[in-house]
Amino acid sequence: MPELWLPITAAVYAGALLLRRRVRSPLLNPTLVTMAALGALLAAGHVPYARYAGATSPLTALLGPAIVALAVPLHREREMLRRHAAPLALGALLGATCAIAVGYGAGVLLGLAPDWAIALSSQSASSPISIALAGELHGAAGLSAVVSVLAGVVGATLGPRWLDLVRVRHPMARGLAHGVASHGIGTGRMIDETRLAGATAAVGMGLGGVIVAVALPLLWT
Amino acid sequence: MRLLIGIAWLWAFLGLGSAIAGAVGLPLPGSVVGMLLLWGALESGAVRLAWLDRGAGSLLALLGLLFVPAGVGFLQYAGAGRVWLAVAAVVAVGALATLAVTGHVVQRAVGGA
Repeated sequence: MPELWLPITAAVYAGALLLRRRVRSPLLNPTLVTMAALGALLAAGHVPYARYAGATSPLTALLGPAIVALAVPLHREREMLRRHAAPLALGALLGATCAIAVGYGAGVLLGLAPDWAIALSSQSASSPISIALAGELHGAAGLSAVVSVLAGVVGATLGPRWLDLVRVRHPMARGLAHGVASHGIGTGRMIDETRLAGATAAVGMGLGGVIVAVALPLLWT
Repeated sequence: MRLLIGIAWLWAFLGLGSAIAGAVGLPLPGSVVGMLLLWGALESGAVRLAWLDRGAGSLLALLGLLFVPAGVGFLQYAGAGRVWLAVAAVVAVGALATLAVTGHVVQRAVGGA
Protein backbone atom coordinates (compact mmCIF):
# COMPACT_ATOMS: atom_id res chain seq x y z
CA MET A 1 0.00 0.00 0.00
CA PRO A 2 2.60 2.60 -0.98
CA GLU A 3 -0.12 5.22 -1.53
CA LEU A 4 -0.70 5.39 2.23
CA TRP A 5 2.76 6.75 3.09
CA LEU A 6 1.68 10.38 2.73
CA PRO A 7 -1.26 10.17 5.19
CA ILE A 8 0.88 8.04 7.52
CA THR A 9 3.61 10.72 7.49
CA ALA A 10 1.05 13.46 8.17
CA ALA A 11 -0.52 11.44 11.01
CA VAL A 12 2.84 10.72 12.67
CA TYR A 13 3.72 14.43 12.40
CA ALA A 14 0.39 15.40 13.99
CA GLY A 15 1.12 12.95 16.81
CA ALA A 16 4.60 14.43 17.24
CA LEU A 17 3.08 17.94 17.48
CA LEU A 18 0.70 16.76 20.21
CA LEU A 19 3.56 15.06 22.06
CA ARG A 20 5.58 18.29 22.00
CA ARG A 21 2.62 20.22 23.39
CA ARG A 22 2.62 17.91 26.42
CA VAL A 23 6.39 17.68 26.91
CA ARG A 24 7.81 21.10 26.08
CA SER A 25 11.35 20.08 25.18
CA PRO A 26 13.20 21.20 22.03
CA LEU A 27 14.72 17.68 21.95
CA LEU A 28 11.27 16.41 20.91
CA ASN A 29 11.42 18.40 17.70
CA PRO A 30 8.38 17.16 15.71
CA THR A 31 10.30 16.95 12.42
CA LEU A 32 13.12 14.94 13.98
CA VAL A 33 10.66 12.62 15.80
CA THR A 34 8.69 12.05 12.56
CA MET A 35 11.84 11.35 10.52
CA ALA A 36 13.05 8.83 13.10
CA ALA A 37 9.65 7.10 13.34
CA LEU A 38 9.23 6.86 9.55
CA GLY A 39 12.82 5.66 9.22
CA ALA A 40 12.10 2.88 11.70
CA LEU A 41 8.83 1.96 9.93
CA LEU A 42 10.48 1.78 6.50
CA ALA A 43 13.41 -0.25 7.83
CA ALA A 44 11.10 -2.67 9.66
CA GLY A 45 8.94 -3.15 6.56
CA HIS A 46 11.92 -3.35 4.15
CA VAL A 47 10.38 -0.56 2.10
CA PRO A 48 12.90 0.98 -0.34
CA TYR A 49 13.38 4.72 0.20
CA ALA A 50 12.60 5.45 -3.48
CA ARG A 51 9.12 4.01 -3.04
CA TYR A 52 8.47 6.16 0.03
CA ALA A 53 9.85 9.25 -1.71
CA GLY A 54 7.54 8.63 -4.69
CA ALA A 55 4.46 8.26 -2.51
CA THR A 56 5.20 11.45 -0.55
CA SER A 57 6.35 13.59 -3.50
CA PRO A 58 3.43 16.07 -3.16
CA LEU A 59 4.91 17.22 0.17
CA THR A 60 8.36 17.62 -1.36
CA ALA A 61 6.87 19.58 -4.28
CA LEU A 62 5.70 22.25 -1.80
CA LEU A 63 9.25 22.87 -0.50
CA GLY A 64 10.08 25.25 -3.37
CA PRO A 65 7.13 27.63 -2.76
CA ALA A 66 7.80 27.37 1.00
CA ILE A 67 11.34 28.71 0.51
CA VAL A 68 9.91 31.59 -1.56
CA ALA A 69 7.53 32.27 1.36
CA LEU A 70 10.52 32.98 3.64
CA ALA A 71 10.52 36.46 2.04
CA VAL A 72 7.38 37.26 4.06
CA PRO A 73 8.95 37.30 7.57
CA LEU A 74 11.82 39.43 6.18
CA HIS A 75 9.32 41.90 4.73
CA ARG A 76 7.30 41.95 7.94
CA GLU A 77 10.35 43.00 9.99
CA ARG A 78 11.41 45.69 7.48
CA GLU A 79 11.26 48.44 10.14
CA MET A 80 13.78 46.66 12.34
CA LEU A 81 15.95 45.75 9.34
CA ARG A 82 16.02 49.37 8.19
CA ARG A 83 16.81 50.76 11.64
CA HIS A 84 19.58 48.27 12.47
CA ALA A 85 20.73 47.33 8.98
CA ALA A 86 24.48 47.40 9.69
CA PRO A 87 24.61 45.33 12.92
CA LEU A 88 22.14 42.75 11.60
CA ALA A 89 23.83 42.36 8.20
CA LEU A 90 27.31 42.20 9.78
CA GLY A 91 26.19 39.66 12.39
CA ALA A 92 24.49 37.45 9.80
CA LEU A 93 27.48 37.65 7.44
CA LEU A 94 30.14 36.80 10.05
CA GLY A 95 27.92 34.21 11.77
CA ALA A 96 27.05 32.37 8.56
CA THR A 97 30.72 32.52 7.52
CA CYS A 98 31.65 30.88 10.83
CA ALA A 99 29.10 28.07 10.34
CA ILE A 100 30.30 27.42 6.78
CA ALA A 101 33.97 27.52 7.86
CA VAL A 102 33.45 24.99 10.68
CA GLY A 103 31.48 22.61 8.42
CA TYR A 104 33.77 22.94 5.41
CA GLY A 105 36.94 22.81 7.51
CA ALA A 106 35.80 19.71 9.39
CA GLY A 107 34.95 18.04 6.08
CA VAL A 108 38.48 18.66 4.80
CA LEU A 109 40.22 17.73 8.09
CA LEU A 110 38.23 14.52 8.56
CA GLY A 111 38.49 13.62 4.86
CA LEU A 112 34.73 13.24 4.52
CA ALA A 113 33.03 12.32 1.24
CA PRO A 114 31.49 15.32 -0.60
CA ASP A 115 27.87 14.49 0.34
CA TRP A 116 28.75 14.60 4.08
CA ALA A 117 30.94 17.70 3.69
CA ILE A 118 28.20 19.54 1.76
CA ALA A 119 25.66 18.65 4.46
CA LEU A 120 27.99 20.00 7.20
CA SER A 121 28.73 23.21 5.28
CA SER A 122 25.01 24.01 5.02
CA GLN A 123 24.20 23.00 8.62
CA SER A 124 23.09 26.49 9.62
CA ALA A 125 20.64 26.91 6.72
CA SER A 126 16.99 25.96 7.11
CA SER A 127 16.41 22.35 5.90
CA PRO A 128 14.51 23.31 2.73
CA ILE A 129 17.43 25.53 1.69
CA SER A 130 20.03 22.88 2.48
CA ILE A 131 17.93 20.32 0.54
CA ALA A 132 17.84 22.67 -2.47
CA LEU A 133 21.62 23.21 -2.15
CA ALA A 134 22.21 19.45 -2.01
CA GLY A 135 20.32 19.20 -5.30
CA GLU A 136 22.36 22.03 -6.83
CA LEU A 137 25.76 20.70 -5.66
CA HIS A 138 25.01 16.98 -6.12
CA GLY A 139 25.04 16.26 -2.41
CA ALA A 140 22.55 14.06 -0.55
CA ALA A 141 19.22 15.74 0.29
CA GLY A 142 18.50 13.38 3.21
CA LEU A 143 21.87 13.99 4.89
CA SER A 144 21.64 17.76 4.40
CA ALA A 145 18.10 17.86 5.81
CA VAL A 146 18.98 15.83 8.91
CA VAL A 147 22.21 17.74 9.61
CA SER A 148 20.28 21.04 9.45
CA VAL A 149 17.62 19.73 11.82
CA LEU A 150 20.38 18.63 14.24
CA ALA A 151 21.95 22.11 14.16
CA GLY A 152 18.51 23.53 14.91
CA VAL A 153 17.97 21.20 17.86
CA VAL A 154 21.45 21.91 19.31
CA GLY A 155 20.81 25.67 19.12
CA ALA A 156 17.32 25.46 20.57
CA THR A 157 18.34 23.21 23.49
CA LEU A 158 21.78 24.57 24.44
CA GLY A 159 21.68 28.03 22.81
CA PRO A 160 19.99 30.20 25.47
CA ARG A 161 22.19 28.95 28.33
CA TRP A 162 25.31 29.02 26.12
CA LEU A 163 24.65 32.68 25.27
CA ASP A 164 24.21 33.47 29.01
CA LEU A 165 27.58 31.84 29.60
CA VAL A 166 29.39 33.84 26.90
CA ARG A 167 27.52 36.99 28.01
CA VAL A 168 25.37 37.73 25.01
CA ARG A 169 22.42 39.48 26.66
CA HIS A 170 20.99 41.93 24.14
CA PRO A 171 17.68 40.45 22.86
CA MET A 172 18.51 41.36 19.24
CA ALA A 173 21.92 39.69 19.51
CA ARG A 174 20.38 36.55 21.07
CA GLY A 175 17.65 36.46 18.44
CA LEU A 176 19.86 36.94 15.39
CA ALA A 177 22.36 34.38 16.73
CA HIS A 178 19.64 31.73 17.04
CA GLY A 179 18.22 32.49 13.59
CA VAL A 180 21.62 32.36 11.89
CA ALA A 181 22.91 29.25 13.73
CA SER A 182 19.67 27.28 14.15
CA HIS A 183 17.20 28.65 11.54
CA GLY A 184 13.50 27.86 12.17
CA ILE A 185 13.98 25.63 15.23
CA GLY A 186 16.11 28.25 16.99
CA THR A 187 13.59 30.92 15.95
CA GLY A 188 10.81 28.93 17.61
CA ARG A 189 12.83 28.90 20.83
CA MET A 190 13.45 32.68 20.67
CA ILE A 191 9.74 33.42 20.20
CA ASP A 192 9.36 32.03 23.76
CA GLU A 193 12.05 34.44 25.05
CA THR A 194 10.89 37.91 23.93
CA ARG A 195 8.98 39.32 20.97
CA LEU A 196 12.04 41.27 19.85
CA ALA A 197 14.29 38.18 20.04
CA GLY A 198 11.75 36.14 18.05
CA ALA A 199 11.43 38.76 15.31
CA THR A 200 15.22 39.17 15.06
CA ALA A 201 15.61 35.39 14.87
CA ALA A 202 13.24 35.29 11.87
CA VAL A 203 15.41 37.94 10.21
CA GLY A 204 18.54 35.92 11.04
CA MET A 205 17.09 32.75 9.54
CA GLY A 206 16.26 34.58 6.29
CA LEU A 207 19.55 36.48 5.95
CA GLY A 208 21.67 33.52 7.08
CA GLY A 209 19.91 31.14 4.67
CA VAL A 210 20.48 33.49 1.73
CA ILE A 211 24.18 33.95 2.62
CA VAL A 212 24.75 30.17 2.83
CA ALA A 213 22.84 29.64 -0.43
CA VAL A 214 25.00 32.23 -2.24
CA ALA A 215 28.34 31.22 -0.67
CA LEU A 216 28.26 27.41 -0.95
CA PRO A 217 27.98 27.16 -4.74
CA LEU A 218 30.99 29.50 -5.01
CA LEU A 219 32.94 27.32 -2.58
CA TRP A 220 32.08 24.08 -4.34
CA THR A 221 32.59 24.99 -8.01
CA MET B 1 -9.59 31.00 -2.24
CA ARG B 2 -7.11 33.53 -0.83
CA LEU B 3 -5.02 30.57 0.25
CA LEU B 4 -4.83 29.21 -3.30
CA ILE B 5 -4.11 32.62 -4.80
CA GLY B 6 -1.31 33.10 -2.28
CA ILE B 7 0.26 29.73 -3.11
CA ALA B 8 -0.09 30.54 -6.83
CA TRP B 9 1.89 33.77 -6.27
CA LEU B 10 4.63 31.82 -4.49
CA TRP B 11 4.71 29.29 -7.32
CA ALA B 12 4.93 32.09 -9.89
CA PHE B 13 7.97 33.56 -8.12
CA LEU B 14 9.49 30.07 -7.86
CA GLY B 15 9.10 29.67 -11.64
CA LEU B 16 10.51 33.15 -12.27
CA GLY B 17 13.48 32.47 -9.95
CA SER B 18 14.23 29.11 -11.58
CA ALA B 19 13.97 30.60 -15.08
CA ILE B 20 16.32 33.46 -14.23
CA ALA B 21 18.82 31.18 -12.44
CA GLY B 22 18.80 28.87 -15.47
CA ALA B 23 19.09 31.64 -18.06
CA VAL B 24 21.92 33.51 -16.29
CA GLY B 25 23.64 30.27 -15.26
CA LEU B 26 23.49 31.15 -11.54
CA PRO B 27 24.52 28.20 -9.36
CA LEU B 28 21.85 29.25 -6.79
CA PRO B 29 18.70 27.19 -6.21
CA GLY B 30 15.84 28.78 -8.19
CA SER B 31 13.73 28.86 -5.01
CA VAL B 32 16.26 31.12 -3.26
CA VAL B 33 16.35 33.45 -6.30
CA GLY B 34 12.53 33.46 -6.22
CA MET B 35 12.58 34.37 -2.52
CA LEU B 36 14.94 37.32 -3.17
CA LEU B 37 12.75 38.49 -6.08
CA LEU B 38 9.60 38.28 -3.94
CA TRP B 39 11.33 40.14 -1.10
CA GLY B 40 12.28 42.91 -3.54
CA ALA B 41 8.76 42.98 -4.99
CA LEU B 42 7.23 43.30 -1.50
CA GLU B 43 9.65 46.07 -0.48
CA SER B 44 9.04 48.05 -3.68
CA GLY B 45 5.27 47.64 -3.38
CA ALA B 46 4.99 45.84 -6.74
CA VAL B 47 3.40 42.93 -4.84
CA ARG B 48 1.23 43.52 -1.75
CA LEU B 49 1.62 41.32 1.32
CA ALA B 50 -2.17 40.91 1.54
CA TRP B 51 -2.21 39.07 -1.80
CA LEU B 52 -0.15 36.15 -0.56
CA ASP B 53 -0.26 36.41 3.23
CA ARG B 54 -2.60 33.44 3.74
CA GLY B 55 -0.78 31.13 1.35
CA ALA B 56 2.66 31.96 2.76
CA GLY B 57 1.43 31.66 6.35
CA SER B 58 -0.06 28.20 5.87
CA LEU B 59 2.98 26.86 3.99
CA LEU B 60 5.36 28.17 6.66
CA ALA B 61 3.15 26.67 9.38
CA LEU B 62 3.49 23.28 7.67
CA LEU B 63 7.20 23.69 6.90
CA GLY B 64 8.25 21.13 9.51
CA LEU B 65 6.15 18.45 7.77
CA LEU B 66 7.14 19.38 4.22
CA PHE B 67 10.78 18.35 4.55
CA VAL B 68 10.16 15.07 6.37
CA PRO B 69 10.19 12.96 3.15
CA ALA B 70 13.52 14.45 2.03
CA GLY B 71 14.95 14.02 5.53
CA VAL B 72 13.95 10.36 5.71
CA GLY B 73 16.55 9.91 2.96
CA PHE B 74 19.11 9.78 5.81
CA LEU B 75 18.09 6.07 5.98
CA GLN B 76 20.38 5.43 3.02
CA TYR B 77 23.26 6.49 5.30
CA ALA B 78 22.02 4.77 8.46
CA GLY B 79 24.83 2.20 8.23
CA ALA B 80 27.58 4.84 8.27
CA GLY B 81 28.20 4.22 12.00
CA ARG B 82 31.05 6.26 13.46
CA VAL B 83 30.85 8.96 10.79
CA TRP B 84 27.56 10.02 12.41
CA LEU B 85 29.32 10.58 15.76
CA ALA B 86 31.93 12.82 14.14
CA VAL B 87 29.22 14.68 12.22
CA ALA B 88 27.15 15.23 15.39
CA ALA B 89 30.21 16.63 17.17
CA VAL B 90 30.97 19.00 14.27
CA VAL B 91 27.34 20.16 14.16
CA ALA B 92 27.38 20.93 17.90
CA VAL B 93 30.69 22.83 17.72
CA GLY B 94 29.55 24.69 14.59
CA ALA B 95 26.22 25.72 16.10
CA LEU B 96 27.75 26.95 19.39
CA ALA B 97 30.56 28.83 17.63
CA THR B 98 28.06 30.45 15.24
CA LEU B 99 25.81 31.48 18.16
CA ALA B 100 28.73 33.11 20.00
CA VAL B 101 30.16 34.89 16.94
CA THR B 102 26.80 36.22 15.71
CA GLY B 103 25.71 37.24 19.20
CA HIS B 104 28.90 39.16 20.02
CA VAL B 105 29.08 40.89 16.64
CA VAL B 106 25.49 42.15 16.95
CA GLN B 107 25.82 43.09 20.63
CA ARG B 108 28.97 45.11 19.99
CA ALA B 109 27.58 46.77 16.85
CA VAL B 110 24.30 47.71 18.55
CA GLY B 111 26.26 49.05 21.48
CA GLY B 112 24.84 46.89 24.24
CA ALA B 113 28.08 45.16 25.27
